[in-house]
Amino acid sequence: MARANRLRAPRREGLRLERGSDGQLWARQGETARAVRVTRCFPWSEPSRYLSLRDGDDEEVALIRDLAELGPDSRHALAESLIEASFVLQVEGVEEVEEEIEIRSFRVRTRQGVRSFQTLRDEWPRRMPGGGVLMRDVAGDLYFIPSPASLDEKSRKLLWAYLD
Amino acid sequence: MRIQRYDSDRQIIERYTDQPPLIPPALRLRIEEHFEGGPVQLYALADLDSSLRLGETWVALGSRAITLARERGEELEVQGFERARIREVRLEPGLSCNTLRFLAGPGEPALARVRFTHRQRRAMENLQFVVEQQLRGREIPPADPDAAYAEGVASPIREAQALVAGNDMAVLWRLLAYLKPYRGQVAFGLASAALLTGFTLVPPYLTGYLIDEVIRPVQAGVRTVAEVSRTAWLAVAAIAVAYALRQLCAWARLRWMAILGERVALDLRTELYAHLQKLSLSFYSRKKTGSLITRVSADTDRLWEFLALGVVDVSLSIVMLAGLSSVLIWLDWRLGLIMTVPVPFLCAWVFLHGRRMNTLFLRAWRKWSRLTDVVSDTIPGMRVVKAFHQEGREMQRFHERNCSATEEFNRIHGVWTSFWPTLMFAVRGMVVLVWIFAIPRVIGSDSELGPALSSGTFVAFLLYMTMFINPIDIIGQMARIMNRATSSAHRIFEVLDTEPQIVDAPDPVRLDPVQGRVTFEDVSFAYDGVRQVIKGISFDVQPGEMIGLVGPSGGGKTTVTNLIARFYEASGGKVSVDGVDIRKLAIGHYRHQLGMVLQDPYLFHGTVVENISYGMPEASFDRVVDAARAANAHDFLCKLPNGYETLVGERGHTLSGGERQRISIARAILSDPRILILDEATSSVDTETEYKIQEAMERLTSGRTVFAIAHRLSTLRRASRLFVIEDGCLTEQGTHAELLARPDGTYRRLYELQRELTGTRLRRC
Repeated sequence: MARANRLRAPRREGLRLERGSDGQLWARQGETARAVRVTRCFPWSEPSRYLSLRDGDDEEVALIRDLAELGPDSRHALAESLIEASFVLQVEGVEEVEEEIEIRSFRVRTRQGVRSFQTLRDEWPRRMPGGGVLMRDVAGDLYFIPSPASLDEKSRKLLWAYLD
Repeated sequence: MRIQRYDSDRQIIERYTDQPPLIPPALRLRIEEHFEGGPVQLYALADLDSSLRLGETWVALGSRAITLARERGEELEVQGFERARIREVRLEPGLSCNTLRFLAGPGEPALARVRFTHRQRRAMENLQFVVEQQLRGREIPPADPDAAYAEGVASPIREAQALVAGNDMAVLWRLLAYLKPYRGQVAFGLASAALLTGFTLVPPYLTGYLIDEVIRPVQAGVRTVAEVSRTAWLAVAAIAVAYALRQLCAWARLRWMAILGERVALDLRTELYAHLQKLSLSFYSRKKTGSLITRVSADTDRLWEFLALGVVDVSLSIVMLAGLSSVLIWLDWRLGLIMTVPVPFLCAWVFLHGRRMNTLFLRAWRKWSRLTDVVSDTIPGMRVVKAFHQEGREMQRFHERNCSATEEFNRIHGVWTSFWPTLMFAVRGMVVLVWIFAIPRVIGSDSELGPALSSGTFVAFLLYMTMFINPIDIIGQMARIMNRATSSAHRIFEVLDTEPQIVDAPDPVRLDPVQGRVTFEDVSFAYDGVRQVIKGISFDVQPGEMIGLVGPSGGGKTTVTNLIARFYEASGGKVSVDGVDIRKLAIGHYRHQLGMVLQDPYLFHGTVVENISYGMPEASFDRVVDAARAANAHDFLCKLPNGYETLVGERGHTLSGGERQRISIARAILSDPRILILDEATSSVDTETEYKIQEAMERLTSGRTVFAIAHRLSTLRRASRLFVIEDGCLTEQGTHAELLARPDGTYRRLYELQRELTGTRLRRC
């Protein structure tokens, strides 16, 4: 029975999304309402399409292939949740890069403030669709450089070895 | 040990992050006032504010309340709510922003909502865990809040690199301390190196002397050949002796230091490997095997290079440069200064070139690793590549990356091939400058450029100048040599400094033999010190009982067996064997009486007989054959080309899963353990093989205490009792029949699900 439930395609008909007073995103279908969170299936290639709504047990409640499938209120509620769900630190400049024994230390200026982080030495920055570059630190936090070419000269020089 | 760990975690936070290593004391005081004097039990940092900018809000847990506190300039802002009002704690993970909500009743606004990056997640999850346990009616004893916070934040960095880098000199001194037992050889090596330098400086001087005192006077007719021949031959003999002694010193220095480096590398490798054997399993779960192998092999080898060549080369070069400069200035201070003043600049130039090359190599290394990624991806996955006919695409991918890497290497070649001729050109320029200033003085008399210069002195000068290049090169590369050595030393000391978590108590108890009674009394265990994976389990198993451990994956079954084997120590409660606290037992002696058969049996590179007798190398062939027969392995072993003496290869890959399993059972039978642990021993074999293994297991398990983990419940039908372990708790126990009789029991549900699945499969067949 449980297996059958898992295999059933999540329904989108009559789906309404709203933010609760606790800031939680709720998915309503008819009489039932479930607290959900949103994850992007293609966070870099299609950030506003293929959005998976998942409940507390990480079961998919619905897959939104396109925001146009939703009404304006639902779209608005979803957009708010997406901001948190898709948040990454945006790098605006690089102050320092230091190679250590097993890790590489970066000190960067991000849109959110100054931050130091470490990556594994064999974990290189990844070129993303759209030309941005993504770095992942040892704790799992992501650092995105939207346009490496538009960074200041010092930052570009410091990153030269790590970017194509 | 815990204090050391805490200090190290604090250092990591201070060195690598921009956040405080503990909650600010003023804020803590205010929070504790808010808790009416009660202590902060646990805390974490929410480093994102509501507009998702980096900030600092501390979430602190007291015995009855939770507060959110932050500093606003001079002001301290503290808000809180009663823990009793919490109905649910919900964590929503995001790409880099996690949200933790403390929820009251349905429809009510959240009591608090905090956002934080993944760096804070472990500390925040600890907090969430404690609150959730409270909601389930379980009280978690308070941990040291500063240590728990520091560990949570520092762990990801520590797991990547256990030492705080930075104090390279301390590491270097520690490394050089390994030379201490070989003081005599070191002194001899260094003396040889010093003499080598001295003897190198002699021939140019004698050449100048010969020109001035022998050749020129004879050519000028001032002295006769007969008058000077004795002096000439003596000078030539002295040059020959100087060369011979120089080579003798070079030989002595190379040989002594190479052997000395090898001895130190041997000592380091032995100490490192011995220490690795003592370390607990938790260490191995954190470190990659490849990284540890590199430390034992490549890093110790690199240290040999440093000790054998680097130490002497660098000191020799400094001595040589100082010697050369002194001799040149002594011969003629004006010309000497032309040669010596630029030396520091040349050294700096070589150093800067080295740094540039490091950057270039880093970029090339990145591209090279992209290239090797393709190879390491496609070679093992060649069947998939061929099945989907993607050979062309893979070739293209390889070609692109190959070209890209080659481009970088060509760039490197372009830089170094330009640098060295340019450096040489600069040195030649200095030589030309010396000529320009020297010629008027050599061919003329005293001038404004200085007094007259003899040809001999000038030739000696020229010979000395050719010796400048090599020491400049070595000194310029000193930073790189030191860097490589300290990196390797860091990696080795990181392992050596890791303390084994399981050690023998003073005067340990030796149970001879172990009877096999295993008792758990309210045992709890947490891998990270806070989040418990075993929560207050109690049971008493009598000698000879077979206990089946069942339950969902991740419930804690393997952890129970790890505690029985004392791979880890219980965080709370007591594990006893034959009534003796397991912490008081002599580990080696106890484990000698313990056997394990795992899901993926590990066979060492060697023969079958060596693998079977691994735990008892002195066992006779009779006993080995008996054990193999009991394990249903004898028949297939006899069919192997070299019988029991067949090499099974690395990890035993030449044998099937079932065959390897039966060899591991034979190994367990031979060692005759009093307590036996079977962890999913038959889960990866076909039905016929399973039957043979089951048969072997029945022989293996009789007369011993057995703990068997199995997902296929049918394999546990012989168990005296079954323990259902769920979410770290012992939720059900009894015989197969007793557990099936419980209408809502987990065991019954699992059993029926499996029966249903088996039925479905059979119907399909």
